Amino acid sequence: MKNIDPKAVVVKRALCPFCSFGCEFGVIFNDFGVAGVEYIKDGSSGGRLCPRGSAAAMYLDHPRRLSTPMKNSKAIEWSRMAKELRKVIGNPKNVAVTFDRNVTLEEYASIIGFCKKNGIDDISSTYFEPEAYLKPFLDKPFATKELDKAQLVLILGDPFNHAPMSSQSIIDWKLSNKKNNLLVIDSINTHTAGFADTFLRVAVGTEPLLLFGLAQEKIDGVDIAKATGIDAEVIADVSKAIKAAEGGLIFACLSFGHTYDARLLVEGLMRLRKFSGMRVVPFVEFTGYGGSRNFATILEKVKKKKIKNLINFGELFPFYYPQLNAELKGSNIYATSTFKYTGDIVLPVPFNLEKKGTVITTFGKKELNAGIEPPSGAKSISEILNMLDEGPGKGEVMIPPEGKMNITESARKLVQMSLPKKKGYRLIGEKIAYSFLGFFESEALKVNPRDAAELGLKENDLASVTSKHGSVDFPVRLTTDVDKGIVAVSAETPDVKGLFEYEINTDSNIVNFIPTEVKICRKE
Amino acid sequence: MQKRIVLDLDLCCGCRSCEAACRSAFKGEARIRHGDITGVAYLPLACKHCKQPLCLASCPVEAITQDESTGLVVRSANICIGCKSCAYACPFGVIDAPLVRHISQKCSLCADRKEGPRCVAACSSGALQWLSDDEIKRHEIGMRMVSQDLFIRRKA
Repeated sequence: MKNIDPKAVVVKRALCPFCSFGCEFGVIFNDFGVAGVEYIKDGSSGGRLCPRGSAAAMYLDHPRRLSTPMKNSKAIEWSRMAKELRKVIGNPKNVAVTFDRNVTLEEYASIIGFCKKNGIDDISSTYFEPEAYLKPFLDKPFATKELDKAQLVLILGDPFNHAPMSSQSIIDWKLSNKKNNLLVIDSINTHTAGFADTFLRVAVGTEPLLLFGLAQEKIDGVDIAKATGIDAEVIADVSKAIKAAEGGLIFACLSFGHTYDARLLVEGLMRLRKFSGMRVVPFVEFTGYGGSRNFATILEKVKKKKIKNLINFGELFPFYYPQLNAELKGSNIYATSTFKYTGDIVLPVPFNLEKKGTVITTFGKKELNAGIEPPSGAKSISEILNMLDEGPGKGEVMIPPEGKMNITESARKLVQMSLPKKKGYRLIGEKIAYSFLGFFESEALKVNPRDAAELGLKENDLASVTSKHGSVDFPVRLTTDVDKGIVAVSAETPDVKGLFEYEINTDSNIVNFIPTEVKICRKE
Repeated sequence: MQKRIVLDLDLCCGCRSCEAACRSAFKGEARIRHGDITGVAYLPLACKHCKQPLCLASCPVEAITQDESTGLVVRSANICIGCKSCAYACPFGVIDAPLVRHISQKCSLCADRKEGPRCVAACSSGALQWLSDDEIKRHEIGMRMVSQDLFIRRKA
């Protein structure tokens, strides 16, 4: 019989998969399994880890970790699963293959190769997180030493929560020279905004318009100052400072349901880059890949019953976007996941820490190779594809159709959408590093004290937030960080994401999750 | 004390990596807390390991003891009855009153880890530091202001 020594531990070095910084840490194993994380001083981040990194080990042996295929919430054998999937793929015109997060470059190539070999034409990304739109700016790896040359840094969003490991280099840069100028654009007050020399607090969802204004571009029929709530003089002054600054950088990170038109925002960033010569650096958790179509085209085909089966590789879709279920009704969804979710068919796959392969980050390509074993019932995407076919064939990068964009029309529409409503509240998403998937703390609803008084809410009261897609209860946090009429919540879990409204851009067929009208009432 | 946790509040970005590291290591117990000065700043609150600890004095079952050589104030999980006396006695509010596992959540400066506390190791912005008295004297803690507003970091 084996002697168990609780003090005997093995530490495996791993790359954190939760944001673009790819920090190194150790996963500690003892005879009882995963024992925690170790902070490795000689690692790329000097041992520092954000809350997501500290939770990485908890993820590996979480009670809800999926380790066997499930069909309608009942366990099913892989052999039966493979038989069913082979039958589905036998009619390729009736199948769409999609992918979201937790997919390596090699796996992406295998998926595309598999689709080509099997005659599946409808291929799309289901990575609806807004950071996917920032991909055009990931053409060149970023190095934090680029900050040394910058006199001005413009931050869009809240990187101290999106990628907390960015905080030290940005704060160090700020402290290194009194003349260094930090500008922050956001619709809510954040920790990042707290460090700013100038905080441009825009009306909810109007960030794209301000970017056009800072690039000194006019949009016919749109009063940028009025729509954004930022004085025209301030916009002009900041614009001048941006133009005059040398070696400046624009950091961009976007939260789910935070802005109305992510595509217009990317266009605004492009214009500002051209105007100022500043480099745009997106802090992204995952970049997302392209398919042959944008997802709305596939939705349309599902509605017309031209596609009956969707096979998704990744870990988000369809569980994190339940509001799409109504449109997907009548289709069979085969989805890979690392967690147990209720769905038609859920297939267990390894978590990124348990994979070998390459991922793209803000800092370029990074290799995953921690040598950590996945749960015995999980199969990698390549193994699943091999199970269905002798060999997946050669893959290639796909670029979905862009569609034309009418900037004036898009901007006017954005203005209309962002106008304050007489009744109800607008829910926006934010990212809170510590609210990571509810591992440490459940999401709280940020409410302006004036709204709270009207609603009869006090700190820590339970409030029920209802959108047309569902209802979720949150403890209330009173703060002036959000304006009157606006409520904010960390949008990380399927329940919370499921509250948000989505809009399909008719030109591009892109699915956009936007600030959402909600009703709030005190829960007794 | 040989070394202690020192906070440079100017560097704190409010990500709560310190609390996450603590909770991950101690089965959900947050032995470091934070104070939220609404709209202004987050303030990580670590145990000071006081010379005359009130938590120790208030403990009815002597679950909290002080190491004479290191000054470390530790709680025995086997003796603690979860009465919360220590949480209410602590003048700095660093012991969380809502209990996890029915025992008080008392910081031991990660005595099980020779490199020092996990909260310091994890701190994403370098605000928490693990310093000896000599090192503390050489630092200008609290002298710098990051934002141009002298007293309020986060403008409401």
